[in-house]
Amino acid sequence: MNEGQNSRAGAAELLAAGFRQSDMSLILVQGTGTVVTASRGAEVLLGCEPEQLAGQYLAQRFSDPGALRRLLADQKTGTVGRVQLEARRQDGKLIPVEVSCSRLETGEAPDAYFMIRVSDIRERQHEDELRAARLAKLTLLNQVSEALYGARLNLDQILQAILVCMTAGQGLRFNRAFLLLVDPSTNSLQGRMAIGPSNADEAARIWQDLADQSSDLFGMVTQYDQSVRQTDVAVNEIVRHMSIPMDDEANIMIRIMGQGHVRRIAGDVDQPGVETLRHWLGCHEFAIAPMSTRRGPVGVIVADNAISGTTITDLDLEFLQMFANQSAGAIENSRLHSELSRRLADLHAAHRKQREDQETLLKMERLSVMGETSAIVAHELRNPLVAIGGFARSLTRSIDAGDPNRVAATIIVEEVARMERIIHDLLDFIRPPKMLRTAMVVDEVVAQVVQKFQPRAQEAEVELVSDLQAENLTVSMNPGEIQQVLQNFLVNALQALDGPGRVEVRSRGVDGGVEVTVADNGPGFEPELVEKLQMPFFSTKPTGSGLGLTICAQIVKAHGGVLRAENRADGGAEFSFILPRHKPEEES
Amino acid sequence: MSKVLIVDDEPHLRLLYETELRRAGYETMTASNAQQGLEFVETMSPDLVVLDIRMAGMDGIEALQRILERDNSIPVILNTAFSSYRDNYLTWAADAYVTKSADVTELLETVHGLLHQGLKAEN
Repeated sequence: MNEGQNSRAGAAELLAAGFRQSDMSLILVQGTGTVVTASRGAEVLLGCEPEQLAGQYLAQRFSDPGALRRLLADQKTGTVGRVQLEARRQDGKLIPVEVSCSRLETGEAPDAYFMIRVSDIRERQHEDELRAARLAKLTLLNQVSEALYGARLNLDQILQAILVCMTAGQGLRFNRAFLLLVDPSTNSLQGRMAIGPSNADEAARIWQDLADQSSDLFGMVTQYDQSVRQTDVAVNEIVRHMSIPMDDEANIMIRIMGQGHVRRIAGDVDQPGVETLRHWLGCHEFAIAPMSTRRGPVGVIVADNAISGTTITDLDLEFLQMFANQSAGAIENSRLHSELSRRLADLHAAHRKQREDQETLLKMERLSVMGETSAIVAHELRNPLVAIGGFARSLTRSIDAGDPNRVAATIIVEEVARMERIIHDLLDFIRPPKMLRTAMVVDEVVAQVVQKFQPRAQEAEVELVSDLQAENLTVSMNPGEIQQVLQNFLVNALQALDGPGRVEVRSRGVDGGVEVTVADNGPGFEPELVEKLQMPFFSTKPTGSGLGLTICAQIVKAHGGVLRAENRADGGAEFSFILPRHKPEEES
Repeated sequence: MSKVLIVDDEPHLRLLYETELRRAGYETMTASNAQQGLEFVETMSPDLVVLDIRMAGMDGIEALQRILERDNSIPVILNTAFSSYRDNYLTWAADAYVTKSADVTELLETVHGLLHQGLKAEN
């Protein structure tokens, strides 16, 4: 053996040893697929003892034996073929691998050997899966964002949508989710709404229901009401108990909200609030995600897998945080929107009121000018009327009873008297109400009027009776004005009776006030006139000014009361007013 | 016979009151404005004054003050078309207040009442 041959044999030995010890998983096979030798790396990957693979038929080691055979058959010199398969380890476990193969050329047997490389792709596959999951979740977040911002949802609907997304199969897949919001009015973090079944069967049924009904998340959110409403009673009972003062800074939820990072709580956590939360949730592991915007903290989402017991992964947390951020935005958006709507409505109302006030003011100004003008006209008319009527009276006295001129003079006297009444009432009507008030016992005031009116009633053959039951109730009033109202009622009653009849004056205490009624047994009035009775210048009497009842209504109204005119069921008319009872503090 | 001074700037009303008061048995004198009325109070010593309020020049309220300053024993009846003056405290110094009316009964009764009361007081 020459030196060259020696050194070549030594190199081959070294190469063989290097191949055997390589960490890479390499397997040398014959064209038939029988293993000649394998590297240590290959033995470790397939869980074999050293040299255990030699002589084995390699295709049997793979989930699809035909795939390896096809790979070997397709190889031409120098090319590298690849296929992804599952390799069966010695313990029977299947692992994902990529198999590449190159054909080895030797002079003596051209297609006798192949070098096979088996790569463990478990990690790469895991990464691919993660990437796919991220993509899916990002798509979902996009959908959620559209659902939350796009549609005009109110705050409750938004909270509901957030919770559905938290738990839906197409969503973040938590078993249960609880929403707590910062309540500025109580300065606390307050449980608002929750979603989640109370057991596994219920969970399966709900999500199947929702998935059957709607294809996308938005559809599910809108379907939620009908499907899930009744089942989340238990979780909502839990969430209602959740209330943490904002200044309890040691509390886990307040802390997380301050730190702004999602956290998984599992195992021993020595932090205030954790045990309480575990007690509320009835489970050991859960995640807390803070919701905040640039304007400050909005609340937290608490999520768990209490039903399935599945561990919360880092990916779950990553998405929970992204989702929580988006939810915070949506909640704030909704709040700002409703705040804006409220302010807009306030503004509209203020504007409307201003316009109304302006109109009222203009109307009052017009009325006031009209009132002043009428007062001047009325007064100016009074002087000539006094002269006309006065001399007409004078004439009637000097003309003999049989003289037709006496009739004419009498007519002048009567008509002037009527005009004077109109002027008197008109001036009464336009005179501003007297503000001087005294607390008076109503029954005493009424009794006085009745007594004063008695002679007039007797003269008209009318039986005037009173039934005063208001005890000692007092009303803050201008007694002269109230007596004027009553007297007006009585005059009306006498005129309505137009002859013998009966008039009853009653008083009684009513809720917060005193009612005084004057009822007659006359013909009553036409029902359609009821509304017109209190209108200025409306009169059912040929000689009336039409202002009597209007003035009465004005007086009663100025006293904070109401005036009513109605027909009695058993015939006759009834006029009444209710005045508010006197409250002693009015005097101060 | 009691003397009644009528102060009113309306000639027809002066005539009416004059006629009615005379018919009721009083001696009357009339003034067409407040200034003249004051002069008559000075010079003619009326027993009672029927005083209009709204008059051109000096009004009845000022005239009332002046009459009372000079002699607060003369009864003064404010006789006006403006019933709202009744609530004005300036008129409260008057002995009576009568709203002008074609029916002068109230005015006559008031005049009679005040003069009768005065006589009784003197007796």
